[in-house]
Amino acid sequence: MSFEKFIKQELTGWMVAEGEHADIVLSTRIRLARNLQDYPFPISATQEDANDVSKALNQAVETMQDDHFTSITMEDLSPLERQILVEKHLVSPQLINPKKHGSVLLSEDETISIMVNEEDHIRIQCIYPGFQIDQAYEQADQVDSELEVNLNYAFDETFGYLTSCPSNTGTGMRASVMMHLPALTITKQIERIIPAISRLGMVVRGSYGEGSEALGNIYQISNQITLGKSEEEILKDLESISKRLIAHEKKSRELLLAKSEVHLENRLFRSLGTLTHSRILPSAEAAKCLSDVRLGIDLGIIENIDMTILNELMIFMQPGFLQQYAKEELTSDKRDILRAQLFRDRLGIERSAAQEKDNDSL
Amino acid sequence: MLCENCKERPATVVFKQETSNDVIERHLCDKCAFYSQTFSFSPDQEPLSIQQFLAHWLGGSELFPEQKADERLPDGPKCPSCGLTFHRFLDIGKFGCAVCYETFKGQLPRVFAKLHNGHTQHRGKIPVSLNERFALKRKLEDIRTKMQEAVENERFEEAATLRDEANQVKQQLSDGGDDQHVI
Repeated sequence: MSFEKFIKQELTGWMVAEGEHADIVLSTRIRLARNLQDYPFPISATQEDANDVSKALNQAVETMQDDHFTSITMEDLSPLERQILVEKHLVSPQLINPKKHGSVLLSEDETISIMVNEEDHIRIQCIYPGFQIDQAYEQADQVDSELEVNLNYAFDETFGYLTSCPSNTGTGMRASVMMHLPALTITKQIERIIPAISRLGMVVRGSYGEGSEALGNIYQISNQITLGKSEEEILKDLESISKRLIAHEKKSRELLLAKSEVHLENRLFRSLGTLTHSRILPSAEAAKCLSDVRLGIDLGIIENIDMTILNELMIFMQPGFLQQYAKEELTSDKRDILRAQLFRDRLGIERSAAQEKDNDSL
Repeated sequence: MLCENCKERPATVVFKQETSNDVIERHLCDKCAFYSQTFSFSPDQEPLSIQQFLAHWLGGSELFPEQKADERLPDGPKCPSCGLTFHRFLDIGKFGCAVCYETFKGQLPRVFAKLHNGHTQHRGKIPVSLNERFALKRKLEDIRTKMQEAVENERFEEAATLRDEANQVKQQLSDGGDDQHVI
């Protein structure tokens, strides 16, 4: 199978709006960092070392029973194709550095990706839609356990799994939950919550990783500590913080609705109008309006739009995908025009189909 | 000079990109330079820069209290496998290989305590293939901790169940050979 499937298939498993608390939690991700005992870490590895590691991984993956993986070497991809894999969150921005000899092993449904020669030799990543911490961990743990049968992991009784960065030593696990928190953002409560969460050994950042800016009110909550706590304890802490945030967000939404319904409706419908009627749509504005429309759907104010389409558009509005769609490189201005057209088409078709259905049933 | 990317148009722009290790310099034409800009990524987008953290917060007085602020730090131990010195480790914030952990063993608890809220010992998953016996020892420790908690909270029935569980693990351990430390 060629890598084209993974580039062209816009909708990946985690974008489907399902799973627990899918109205607030977009996705759950588990990442396990592992290294092989007998090779230097990628930071100091030669190309030969990197090739050997990659070969060992490919062999180990072949013996796995349940999942079929496709191996994709970063050097074989164009910059645009690499960027699309990043935009789909299937690989990290760090993996696509062409000097690093990185590759990725992707499962058929794109739920599991095993990055090879990123910062560590192996990074097992599982992404699930909605709030599915336990399921995502079980999957990652299973892949890890199956791999370890054939690979000699770097492990120490005191320090646990040995990783390149000391911030991952121990479990090597980063568990994260991506959440849409518009009401906490509008009411500015998030500013007080973020520092409080960091005191509990968790970190909150924007979903696209750009500093702390949360584009489209989407935040990623993940564990900061990997040493001294078991995986179960870390997951339990993340779960309890996430559930408190969900409850807090829900309460704030109810309050917003109760206190300023018309103002809220006005804002949400204006955003829908922007998405369905703009001719030029910059990404920051698109992200803000998508957030409003998503909130509108959750509150039952906006109807006839499927949440999965919004998830798809969130990925589709990014520069890599737009250029893939246009089949050419585009200036920023042209991207804004194409983005506007895409939103009009996608949301327009959906709404007219829904209206037609309504008319038929009358 | 021709553009490194398209190899068609003359190179008019020197494009510099900083990575964690070095600066990559590329000679590109206007068109390819623009194209590169649109695909530029910063590979290190961690909110907490580990390099800065280790170098500035830990590097000076904390780890070497006898050191004066303006003096250069000693190189410290050097990894026999990859050649990384402890000083360089603090600079780049990364280990070069698994042997570095053994080499810097003496200094690491302080580094880890700062990074992981005071924790210095792994308590999570252990590769089964690596050491089944070690896994059993760890399991026994966990059961004992839970048993202690149960006794303190006067949940005696639960404590009794845990005691039986501990005995089973002890049995498994003794089947695999004597271990005075565990029994």
